[in-house]
Amino acid sequence: MDDLKEVVDHLESTANLSRAIEDVDKAIDLLTSARDKITAAQDPQAAVVTLAQLNGPFKETLEGAKKDLLPIYQTLGRYSKALDKKFKEKPLPTAENDALSSKPSLINRAIAMHLLREGQFDVASKFVAEATKHPTAPEPTPGIPDPHDEGLTENSLGTDKFSPQQLRDHFETMYSVLARLKEHHDIRPAIEWAVHHRSELEARGSNLEFELCQLRFIALFNGCIQESSDTVGISEAPSRTPGDGPLRAWAYARSAFGRFMPRYARQIQMLMGAMSFSSNVGESPYRHQLLSESHWEAVAAAFTREYCSWLGLSADSPLYIAATAGAIALPTLLKVQGIMARKKTEWTTQHELPVEIPLPPSYYYHSIFVCPVSKEQSTDQNPPMMMPCGHVIAKESLEQLSKGSRFKCPYCPNESHQKDARRLIL
Amino acid sequence: MAKLDSLELNAEAHLLLDQPLLRLPYAQSRQTFKTAQRHLEHAATSLQKDLAAALKTAKTQQQQDPDKLVKDIDAMIAKLRTLKRKLSALHDDEKKYNAASRARISHLSELYSMRTLSDVRFERWSRVRLNRLLVDYLLRNGYNGSALALARSTGIEDLVDLHAFGTAMEIQESLAERHDAGKALAWCKENSQALKKLGGDLELQLRYQQYIEMVMGQKKLLEAMAHAKKYLGGMPEHIYGQAAGLLTFKPWQNLEPYASAYSPARWDHLAHLFLTTHNTLFSLPPRPLLHIALSAGLSALKTPACHSSQPHQSLSHPSSSASPIDRTTVSLCPICSTELNALAENVPQALHTKSIVEDDPRVLPNGRVYGRERLERFNKEVGTEKGWVRDPGGGVDGEKFRESEVRKVFIL
Repeated sequence: MDDLKEVVDHLESTANLSRAIEDVDKAIDLLTSARDKITAAQDPQAAVVTLAQLNGPFKETLEGAKKDLLPIYQTLGRYSKALDKKFKEKPLPTAENDALSSKPSLINRAIAMHLLREGQFDVASKFVAEATKHPTAPEPTPGIPDPHDEGLTENSLGTDKFSPQQLRDHFETMYSVLARLKEHHDIRPAIEWAVHHRSELEARGSNLEFELCQLRFIALFNGCIQESSDTVGISEAPSRTPGDGPLRAWAYARSAFGRFMPRYARQIQMLMGAMSFSSNVGESPYRHQLLSESHWEAVAAAFTREYCSWLGLSADSPLYIAATAGAIALPTLLKVQGIMARKKTEWTTQHELPVEIPLPPSYYYHSIFVCPVSKEQSTDQNPPMMMPCGHVIAKESLEQLSKGSRFKCPYCPNESHQKDARRLIL
Repeated sequence: MAKLDSLELNAEAHLLLDQPLLRLPYAQSRQTFKTAQRHLEHAATSLQKDLAAALKTAKTQQQQDPDKLVKDIDAMIAKLRTLKRKLSALHDDEKKYNAASRARISHLSELYSMRTLSDVRFERWSRVRLNRLLVDYLLRNGYNGSALALARSTGIEDLVDLHAFGTAMEIQESLAERHDAGKALAWCKENSQALKKLGGDLELQLRYQQYIEMVMGQKKLLEAMAHAKKYLGGMPEHIYGQAAGLLTFKPWQNLEPYASAYSPARWDHLAHLFLTTHNTLFSLPPRPLLHIALSAGLSALKTPACHSSQPHQSLSHPSSSASPIDRTTVSLCPICSTELNALAENVPQALHTKSIVEDDPRVLPNGRVYGRERLERFNKEVGTEKGWVRDPGGGVDGEKFRESEVRKVFIL
């Protein structure tokens, strides 16, 4: 990268048209002064002399201007070489297995939903308007020779659960709640939402409501927010009397934590324990629970995650995850493509990539079972089966090994029958 | 399960998608330079000729009127001024392209300072890249308004080629919106040299469209025939035949293939054709980079579970619960998510040679498998009675089993 940087530095500082322009200016000056001289003298003889004298320098200046271009030429040459070096043997990936060009409206839908979930509402509506007006023509690709595309419509932007307008409104609500939470340290809208969706959240075993209330307790404790005496009207202005934070927190805990006791007794005990250190929390064992600033970010992230799950969508934009995974996978895929082209082989299993793509662990979303005997991934038709000894192989492998009679587990001395094996759900 | 090498970030290899990012400003700088050189050389030669001629006439005609000489010099000065104006304009362009190069190089350099894919800065970088890819996609499809809006709101104007697409945008729009081929034909003339090398029939198609419009008016049939004679000679025979057929078949007769020739959708096709031609000319990849990144990514992430009829649960990542607040619910898989599910249907799935399951897996009597830690944490959180275990897949009201029925399972 440094060589490229250096080239651009050079282009910006010296190797540009500014010098040539200066030389052109010089040539103009030469001509102007010669012209002035001639008009002043009003003598044909002298005019010829002036003109003859002009000839040499004028030519030189023009040649000079031409020469000024040389450094640009050279630097651009270096630029081109540096680029070739950087991207040598890295041809742009050909989209060979491009199963996407035949489904432009699906891509457009993914983009529109991505924009919505990123909070780019204006861009999203502009995009939908433009895409509806001029749909992209589907292009046939090897897998799908005759594409059929319904086109992007407002209606296709929804999910099974929500209409497009609902989805948009929901995201707008999410962003306004998040903005209150992050920018104003106002937790109430988030808590309201959590209370409203309590049954759904609890069914999933979500801690969101408690996390929010806990954060509210902490915020009150630290005096970030203030609660006025009547519990209905709450003013969230920073406390003017810093000492009474713990008292307010205590009052809040008494009113709000009751219903959490069965599930979160331990956490609540911890928070109550922290109360006794209210004068010197910083040195107490509770400082992490009470003083960490990361709470806000963490709770905001938890809220986003729960909100998206409730919408039936993943918390991080799928488009972002997929594009990033794609960029990680491309070098490996290209290498294989190159090798296969050189060896003139074709990759036989169309439904599976020819190589394993190493991704960061957080990019694995499903448990994956690969049969240790057949090395195949389990499917609905070929599920993992556990033998009585606790070892697991795929159903097809099991059938082949047992052939209907008792057989030995490939991994331990235990013998069993096919009917003893149990299907696992990963 | 977690392979260490999967976390390392190889910046050099990672830049595969970003080639056009630097190639384009380079190509623009080069074009600017070539134009400047042409202007300068042309002017220098003609000026030297002018001066020599002036000198010659001055010498031969001793009694020459100095005023005539002054006029000659003034003409030369005017020429130089024009040259200067042209060069200054090019110099401004040059500055723009250099600034773009600089911004892009520094954007790409950021990647070299990161060691691993889990670096927080990588996530930020990768988001910028996605926005870049999206803008590129939007521009290619001619969705200029949204492209501009996205680039503005994410602050990446220097990293995308709104400018290079600027003229293209206008021409595209004039085709698609105003049904006017004039600008596109002017562009063809400007780049005729390069277009000839490239092949393709953009100009011909544009001329054909003009012909269709004339025929459609039904009043200018003679004019249309003259137009066809002049411009449509190079057409493949069957289209030429079709063009002739248009003279007899009226737009309202609704008969193929003439109906589709009369269709206003043909303008959209032309706008598209223009964009593809333009992109090839500027060595921009034929398909949007977003497609390339997405198809690779969809495959890398796709598992048999994503399009299975069976309900599957997701993996939880205990390692990622860095926050003091425990993370129990897990993020939905992007391929299973509504946005991408149908799109991923036709891409190959990822190859795995090893099972990926949570650590220390346990199986419940209903056949479901969970890591020990997740099982324990969930049951603690939902407050299951002692001696019992609840299936996390069913939430708080999930199936309940005796602890003794939960057994260890060996997944190799």
